[in-house]
Amino acid sequence: MLYGEIPPTLGNCTSLETLGLAYCRLNGTIPPQLGNLRQLKLLTFQNNSLSGPIPDQLAQCTRIQVISLNDNMLEGEIPSFIGEFSALKTLNLANNCLKGEIPADIGNVRSLNHLYLFGNRLTGNIPYELNQLSQLQILDASSNNLSGPMNISPDHLISLEFLVISSNFLQGEIPKDFCSRNSSLRNLFLAGNQLTGTINGLLSCTSLQSLDLSNNSLTGSIPHAIDQLTELVNLALHNNSLTGPIPHQIGNLTNLEILSLYHNHLTDSIPVEIGKLKRLALLFLYENQMSGTIPAELTNCTSLQEVDFFGNHFSGTIPDQIGNLKNLIVLQLRENDLSGPIPPSLGYCNSLQQLALADNSLTGSLPDTFGFLTELNLITLYNNSLAGDLPRSLLGLKNLSIINLSHNKFSGTVEPLTGSDLLTVFDLTNNSFSGQIPLELFKSRNLTRIRLGHNQLTGPIPSQVGLLHQLVSLDLSDNDLTGEMPLSLSNCKGLTHLLLNGNRLSGYIPSWVFRDLVSLGELDLSSNNFSGDIPKEIGNCSALIKLSLYNNKLTGPIPVEIRKLTLLNVLNLQKNKLSGPVPPEIQQCKKLYELRLSENLLTGPIPSELSSLTELQVILDLSYNDLSGQIPDTLGNLLKLERLNLSFNQLQGALPDSLVRLTSLHRLNLSSNLLQGEIPLALSSFPQNSFSGNNLCGVPMGPCSDPPVSKGKHLSKAEVEGIIVAIVLVSAIVCVALMYIMARIWSNWREVSVSTSDCEESNSKRWVGNGDKIQASKYRKLGPTSTRVGSSEEKHSWGSDTSVLRMKNDAAC
Amino acid sequence: MASSSLLISLASCLLFLAVSPALASNSEGEALCAFKSRLSDPNNVLQSWDQSLVNPCTWFHITCDSQNRVIRLDLGNSNITGTLGPELGRLQHLQYLELYRNSFMGKIPEELGNLKNLVSMDLYENQLEGEIPKSLSKLKSLRFMRLNNNKLTGSIPRELVTLSNLKVLDFSNNDLCGTIPVDGPFSTFPPESFENNKRLNGPELLGLASYDFGC
Repeated sequence: MLYGEIPPTLGNCTSLETLGLAYCRLNGTIPPQLGNLRQLKLLTFQNNSLSGPIPDQLAQCTRIQVISLNDNMLEGEIPSFIGEFSALKTLNLANNCLKGEIPADIGNVRSLNHLYLFGNRLTGNIPYELNQLSQLQILDASSNNLSGPMNISPDHLISLEFLVISSNFLQGEIPKDFCSRNSSLRNLFLAGNQLTGTINGLLSCTSLQSLDLSNNSLTGSIPHAIDQLTELVNLALHNNSLTGPIPHQIGNLTNLEILSLYHNHLTDSIPVEIGKLKRLALLFLYENQMSGTIPAELTNCTSLQEVDFFGNHFSGTIPDQIGNLKNLIVLQLRENDLSGPIPPSLGYCNSLQQLALADNSLTGSLPDTFGFLTELNLITLYNNSLAGDLPRSLLGLKNLSIINLSHNKFSGTVEPLTGSDLLTVFDLTNNSFSGQIPLELFKSRNLTRIRLGHNQLTGPIPSQVGLLHQLVSLDLSDNDLTGEMPLSLSNCKGLTHLLLNGNRLSGYIPSWVFRDLVSLGELDLSSNNFSGDIPKEIGNCSALIKLSLYNNKLTGPIPVEIRKLTLLNVLNLQKNKLSGPVPPEIQQCKKLYELRLSENLLTGPIPSELSSLTELQVILDLSYNDLSGQIPDTLGNLLKLERLNLSFNQLQGALPDSLVRLTSLHRLNLSSNLLQGEIPLALSSFPQNSFSGNNLCGVPMGPCSDPPVSKGKHLSKAEVEGIIVAIVLVSAIVCVALMYIMARIWSNWREVSVSTSDCEESNSKRWVGNGDKIQASKYRKLGPTSTRVGSSEEKHSWGSDTSVLRMKNDAAC
Repeated sequence: MASSSLLISLASCLLFLAVSPALASNSEGEALCAFKSRLSDPNNVLQSWDQSLVNPCTWFHITCDSQNRVIRLDLGNSNITGTLGPELGRLQHLQYLELYRNSFMGKIPEELGNLKNLVSMDLYENQLEGEIPKSLSKLKSLRFMRLNNNKLTGSIPRELVTLSNLKVLDFSNNDLCGTIPVDGPFSTFPPESFENNKRLNGPELLGLASYDFGC
């Protein structure tokens, strides 16, 4: 194979008519000396690594008929001298790095048959002058950066058969009467532009065999007169915004092989005339809003290989005669409203490789005939109401790789699904399968996911699971499995999800779980009969994000090694017999948003270090333990916490003031402890049962009987009836809020930054002083409130003046 | 020659596009994958986001409800760089959007206003810029809105006063301007919620200064 640069001395061969150096490994630039080859008719340098510009000197090769420089790395612009090559028939500059505009002068080359410019970086409009090329048969300018309107008109380009301008930035509408009556345009590819308007203008292109307008912004409906395009073989209109129905005239396009209309806004049902399309191989209607039943006539389209109706609203049953589609390879009907049973004839589509009927309302059982689908490698039937035992014949499906029958009502044994040893995904979640986990399943050594949760499987976890070294996810939750965790599971070192919760598994939680399965992100062993201590090795599993061991019989302390689980979001150890303290080290688990340690035998104080868990959000539940001491003041740092349950412990002392900072809190349970004293005002909106079973007083509990020493000065008038107290309180809050707002106005007006409550105090007094004026002029919108301000102020002066300011401080701090 | 290869490329392209949905996840999974594609994730926290799964419910940092609908997205403090995209607005059952303490840049997409069930929007401590979209006033379930410590500009949209469930709001440490609304839930937010916005003037003074005073 030739390599290196083109020798400039070639230019001395002045009689040369043909210079063909294609498909070599030439590099360097095209020597300008080639311009001396005045007799040259054929210049073919395609598929090399030539770079640099097309030399100007080539302008002298005026007899040239074929220029093929495609598939190089040529740079610069397309030279306009090409317009002077009056004998040029083929110009191929495709797949280079040419930029700039297409020179209008090319329109002068009346002899041009083939013009290939695709795969460059050409910009600007397509020059209108190209319409002068009456001999042009092929124009391919796809995959450039061309913009502007669709300037080419086959009306003038009477010889044009191929027009390809896909993957550019063309805008505007397709011109009316795009083709002339006797247009020879057979292939039109305008995909991947920004064309708008309807496709009606193309109906005049009656010779079209392939039409691809996909990935534009076309609107309107598919015209009834589409059947004027009688020669159509391939029709691709997907990824547009077409509306309305598929016209029944589509049935007249009897040559059609590909009909791709997906991802539009098409409505109504499939016309029965579709059954006339005997050659149709690919029918893609997915992601539209079509409805109605799938017409039985569709099964007359016996050439169909791929049918994809995903994401529509097709209803009714799958046609009984679907088995006529002997060539069907892909049947995708997911996410529709199909009901009724799966027709047994589907089993006769014995070319079928992918069957997806998920997310419908199908009922009945799997037909026995499915055993004939020996080519099947994917079957997804999830989210239907399919029921009954699986036919034994399924054991013959030796090519199955992906099985997902989850969320149905299948029963009996899962064994018929284990005929293949090529399985990678095995998902039967949420059915009523029973019996043991069949050992045949473990023949498929490439299994990555086994999900059998929410069934009625019994027996042990087979030790053969350890043969599955690719296993990433094992979900056997909510079955009736017994025995211990098999030691061989420690071989599945890639496991990220291990969910064995909701069974009757027993024994210790083995330490190898944490020593060997270090990729675990989620471990759920909850609701089993596990006993013994939580292994100290737990710290090795530092990738854990969710750890649930609740509702077992675990004893001993919470290991301090838990501190190493720094990615942990959820920790649930509730309902065990764990003893000892809540380890302060838990503060290292900084990403915890849910922490449940309730219903154990934990003792000692609530560690103040819990306040480091500032992402705690869903819940902090320490209820039903034997925790003692005071509620740490630092708990107020948990600003995101929404639920706090400390009930049924031995906590004592007063509620710390800091609890009022828990502004996100919307459920609080401190009941049944030994707490006493007054409930902070900011917590008074919680119901009584948040506080009951303590010695707490104040709203919402009963009034504090003795005048408290340190707090609640506004309650010092014990003789005033409760109602009046309440009114005072409400008014005071309103008053304080308003005074506070006013204070901020004042401070800002004076360009003082956000002030402390001390400043506010003095400011608010000042504002209250000439309140009326402010309310009238500046707080127009707060009119109704302002009257309340007046009255409450009156009350407070009648009561205790200092209490207002005191309360305001409480609220503002 | 070239003509036949064109036909082949058309057919293969169609084939590719057609087969993909059979393997694709549901729309929420697709939205999350679209989101993932915007992100740089040096700690590989999104490694488990595998679009070939039926739904995203087994992905880490995703929580679903019992009907397999995504209700939580937890990527707080994960060393992620990238932008928020309109696709997040397609997670229509999302209740918790926890993207705090990362390096998210660019604007808050207005499509977040489509998250009708959102309870908590935690975007604090990122590099978000641009204005707070008015569309967030459509989040009628929102209780917590923490956008503090970003580079947000513009005024506080008045439409937010209609968020009657809003309990906690933090806009502090941004570059917001104008005045602070006083209506609706804004009557309860402490000054700390707005501090360190140099151009933010105090509460609005209706009739005296427009809400974007000083913007």
